[in-house]
Amino acid sequence: MATGQGVKGAAIGLLMTVAAMQAVQAQVPGVTADTIRIGSFGALTGPGYLYGKLPMNGIEVVFDQVNAAGGINGRKLQLVREDDRCDPAAAIGAVKKLVSEDNVFALIGGGCSNATFAAREALDQAKIPLIVMASVHDGITTPVAPAIFSTALTSTIESQAQLEYALAQNAKRIAVVSMRDAWGRARYTPLMEAFKKKNIKPVADEEMAPDANDATAQVLRLKAANADAVLIVLYPKPAAIFMRDAQKLGFKPLAIGQSGIADPAAFEDQVGSPGATTQFRTISMVRYTPEDPAVDKWRKAIEAKFPGDRLSVFNLFGIGSAEVMVEGLKRAGKDLTRDGLVAALDKLTDFQTDVYGAGITCTTGDHRCNKAPVWIAKEPGKPVRVLGVTKVE
Amino acid sequence: MELFTYLLLSGLTTGSLYALIALGIVVVNKSTGMINFAHGELFMFSGFVAWMLHVQMGMGYLPSFAIAVAVGFLLGAVTNLIAARPMRNADVVGLVLATIGLAFVFRGAARVIWGGKGDYLSFPPITSPDPVTIAGIMVIPQQIAVLAGAIVIMLVFAAFFRLTRAGKMMQATADNAKASRLVGIRIDRIYMLSFGTGAAIAAAAAVLMAPLTLLYPDMGFSFFIKGFAAAVLGGLTSLPGAVLGGFCIGVIEALAGGYISSSFMEVSAFIVIMFVLVLRPTGLLSFGKLRQV
Repeated sequence: MATGQGVKGAAIGLLMTVAAMQAVQAQVPGVTADTIRIGSFGALTGPGYLYGKLPMNGIEVVFDQVNAAGGINGRKLQLVREDDRCDPAAAIGAVKKLVSEDNVFALIGGGCSNATFAAREALDQAKIPLIVMASVHDGITTPVAPAIFSTALTSTIESQAQLEYALAQNAKRIAVVSMRDAWGRARYTPLMEAFKKKNIKPVADEEMAPDANDATAQVLRLKAANADAVLIVLYPKPAAIFMRDAQKLGFKPLAIGQSGIADPAAFEDQVGSPGATTQFRTISMVRYTPEDPAVDKWRKAIEAKFPGDRLSVFNLFGIGSAEVMVEGLKRAGKDLTRDGLVAALDKLTDFQTDVYGAGITCTTGDHRCNKAPVWIAKEPGKPVRVLGVTKVE
Repeated sequence: MELFTYLLLSGLTTGSLYALIALGIVVVNKSTGMINFAHGELFMFSGFVAWMLHVQMGMGYLPSFAIAVAVGFLLGAVTNLIAARPMRNADVVGLVLATIGLAFVFRGAARVIWGGKGDYLSFPPITSPDPVTIAGIMVIPQQIAVLAGAIVIMLVFAAFFRLTRAGKMMQATADNAKASRLVGIRIDRIYMLSFGTGAAIAAAAAVLMAPLTLLYPDMGFSFFIKGFAAAVLGGLTSLPGAVLGGFCIGVIEALAGGYISSSFMEVSAFIVIMFVLVLRPTGLLSFGKLRQV
């Protein structure tokens, strides 16, 4: 009799414990016994889709592979996408919708810098963990927001790397051509600080509008300054115009871009002038080109999941950030909470992904977890090749 | 001298595009008294249509050009039908908002249709992409093609306006809409023709410009602002003034960028416009109507 009552008591206790656990779990948004809902925001339409839709496709194939292997602690990953159209107001709306209506547990997102930066306050208020996949604006991660981590490079890191690279190539007369809108300023200001730290003055400092259709004046001024390296702080459109006009006017310096021009093959097409990009190098956030056999696994996954698509570096941005999220979720354990995920991400040290230039390291005081810009270039008629990595301290 | 020649040529090339856009704005304003704020988006949309025909479907440049101009005309007529005509008796704010609203519709449609094809779409040049030397000056042949094309379009348009029946009716309506109605001109048709012609000129500018720059759905507004500035400089109702205004803005920008500072390029033209309008409020080539009493 006593034994029977003991068994009953144990069973009731077990049931109550399970019920209590489920109740606690039910309080964690976006987490059920068998699913974890992750949100993503970025441009799904418009020219910024490269930094939104394509990384999201990369995230999705990582999630598919994790789910095929049984998920994380028995929970399958679900991705919910929102289009911010690279528009700051739309990004704020997208974050609020993902948090309040879609009830996601965490976010991997942020394509266009200005849009993600605008959403920072909404993210801070929601205290939702975010891994930034492509936005480079310093203000997203500096000062440190407790729950925002970035596996993208930041504009300061890239600006420092541009100058380091020019010096490493023995450039003696370094010039700058830049845009001075919010995006451009976010890179131009740290670039000028980097010059000052090195006690170097650029031999010329020219400006271009984002929608410029001619760069004759800028090229002639840089040519007159006899620059042997030009640090390019421009979107692909004005940069293409600049490179075309430089070719036209016989000006062939070492041209050093940044991750705003992340696809040298597409850039060569945009410039449209044979040989104009021979001296062009740019920064990639990832250490492989889409053609590299090292990313065969991901190429097959993207092509199978999205028929008609070819693997691009932008897919790789998403793949890398998703790998970091998956690692964070694994380390956060079965009793998943947002605080647990943040604590796990805070402790990532030299975590190796399939794509980034070096291991991912986050600390409580620094959530810029990727500091290894990768240099890439494309010679006419040849595939894009990786030149090396600059590790910025 | 070499610097001046390079800057002048680049200014004239860019200015010719501004002139074409200004011409379209003035055609509409002269006939209807309205500014079509969707003009930049009509320019953008027609450029994408040409890209789709030429690059995606492999059609020749000239047929693509012709179809894009025809599509531009139709879109202009549609703009008149859904944004301008119903608002003809509304106040100025209503008219402005209607065309601005339509501009967003065109931009959104372009994002949906072409937004996922690449960040900036390139349009193959119709001439050799290699620079050539003419009288010691390095030139991209496409620049010469754009300049020549723009001048031809301006001449064709001038001939249309002066020599054809439709052009003469547009002129008559522009001079006096009430009197034109009294002599049997169907004003509504003329308004539609004006919107269509303005958009067709914008379409021609877009197809000419496409190989020199890159196409993206948000490109319309910046071109519209420059074209509008050129139209204001020329006097808003003067067709030769619009052309002169466009060339002036292009050349001023290039010379300011080359001789003063590249940071000064974007504002230089507007500073000049400000001075011109202070000294001559009707614009360079517009004259106030004389009233005999």
